[in-house]
Amino acid sequence: MEGPANRTDRCELLTVCPASKLADFANDILADGAELSIRQAPRPQLLMQQVVEPVERRPFNLGEVVVTPAEVDLDGSRGFAIMPGKAERAALSGAIVDAAVAGGHPLTRQVLAALERAGERHRGERTREWAESKHTTVTFETLEDER
Amino acid sequence: MGYVAAVAGEELIQRAEALFEKQRVAGDSDDLTLEQLDDQLGRLTSQVMSEAGLYAPRLAALAVKQAQGDTVEAAFLLRAYRSTLERFDETRPTLTSEMLACRRVSPSFKDVPGGQILGPTKDYTQRLLDFTLADSETVDPTAGWELEEAGEPEPLTNVMELLREEGLVAAPENPAADERREPVDTTREPLTHPVSRDAVLQELARGETGAVTALGYSALRGYGQVHPTLAEVRVGKLPVRIEHPYTGEEVTMTHTEVTESEAVVPLYAKRDDPQFAFGYGLTFGRNERKAIGMTVLDASIQVNSTEEPAENAEFVLDTVDGMDSFGFIEHLKLPHYVTFQSILDRIRSIRERKEAAAEPTTDQPGGGDETDADKVETDRGRSIEASQGAPEGSNGD
Repeated sequence: MEGPANRTDRCELLTVCPASKLADFANDILADGAELSIRQAPRPQLLMQQVVEPVERRPFNLGEVVVTPAEVDLDGSRGFAIMPGKAERAALSGAIVDAAVAGGHPLTRQVLAALERAGERHRGERTREWAESKHTTVTFETLEDER
Repeated sequence: MGYVAAVAGEELIQRAEALFEKQRVAGDSDDLTLEQLDDQLGRLTSQVMSEAGLYAPRLAALAVKQAQGDTVEAAFLLRAYRSTLERFDETRPTLTSEMLACRRVSPSFKDVPGGQILGPTKDYTQRLLDFTLADSETVDPTAGWELEEAGEPEPLTNVMELLREEGLVAAPENPAADERREPVDTTREPLTHPVSRDAVLQELARGETGAVTALGYSALRGYGQVHPTLAEVRVGKLPVRIEHPYTGEEVTMTHTEVTESEAVVPLYAKRDDPQFAFGYGLTFGRNERKAIGMTVLDASIQVNSTEEPAENAEFVLDTVDGMDSFGFIEHLKLPHYVTFQSILDRIRSIRERKEAAAEPTTDQPGGGDETDADKVETDRGRSIEASQGAPEGSNGD
């Protein structure tokens, strides 16, 4: 991962950033008088999760995931965000933040820092979960070996 | 087959609904929050998402709250909500070896690469009521753990790959071509038999937990040839990946919690080159019972026999869906007045004719009775046939 300045990475980091933080940024960006037009209104939609079954390596549809995408145009810069679940406010805020960073808004530095912190927190949680799971790694002994 | 509408006062129906809702709020306890349900009853919301075929933890918590804990009703609510949404896209197909596992055990390989990770489970402890939970404050029992540095989460080697390396599991004939093929989507296309395996897996993945478990159990109890050994059981998070609309690059936009199970089945159809057959299960959420049941059913269906229920794809897939079975079973309590009146009329008519036939006649004793009795039997046969085709009959409505 290159970091939040990279558009693809930013899209991932927006999903782990608290919705309230994104909303604060979006409000601050709009308060500056930026011209906003909504290209795709935030609306819950379905994303079919396809998985490759490991034995025959055959893809199949596991089930659908509820996601909320949104797309905006902010002062001529386009922004996109997609959030897990029914999250209209977070998706719209995320798209505004994405567009603001793409357009070099004065708040860009603060946004990138917040996204980096969100990413670090998320990685920390994952690492801790992994360490907790590894803490339960067991070696099974068969009693037959001791007879 | 058709329906005959029954009407009732709308206000009375609303009163009944209000009484149902009153049962949820009648006690003195605080209203359950969605966070409480999602945090503390995760197995319940997992089951609902799995049976709905829809991953949305917060909405599943809402559905559980609204359904007052009825899992099938809650799954129904999620499927109804789903039917109002547009399809955004399909994810890029994910290999389950990319799962970030919090639990992985292999009952077949003691020294499995990556280790036996027990993870969160009570499998190896006694099932006894813990009365301290009734009135004590919640304490995190892992708070005092001193964790060793485990580094970044790493994918675990799939046990099936180990068997494949030894040639004990047949390699896919043409994996590249298989991966390119668009899988059947049973939410959009009706099932037709013989059914493809991708459709079987999708239908089992959203099957009702009890039905999947019971049918899988039937195979183990001798109503089938399959008694597998589990290669591994995993619980973890699978990446959900889409293509970014601007960059065209892959974005992991979230993870879904899933349970996966793989089994090997010793079948020696190919005497010259004996290999394992297999079964596979994968479902949303933490639900090991269902994933293992699905694995047994997947392996059984591949036997492709009509001898045993679990080996008959049509039987299994016609009965495992919770919405179908719940709808059919529970619709029986709805008004069936016309059906019942029709049956009553026929039975009364048969009884009347039988009574008339039983009355002694003066001119033809004996012989006349036999003729009338035959007629009653014929009428009875007709009436059963007719009632099966009655407008409100349970078959096919």
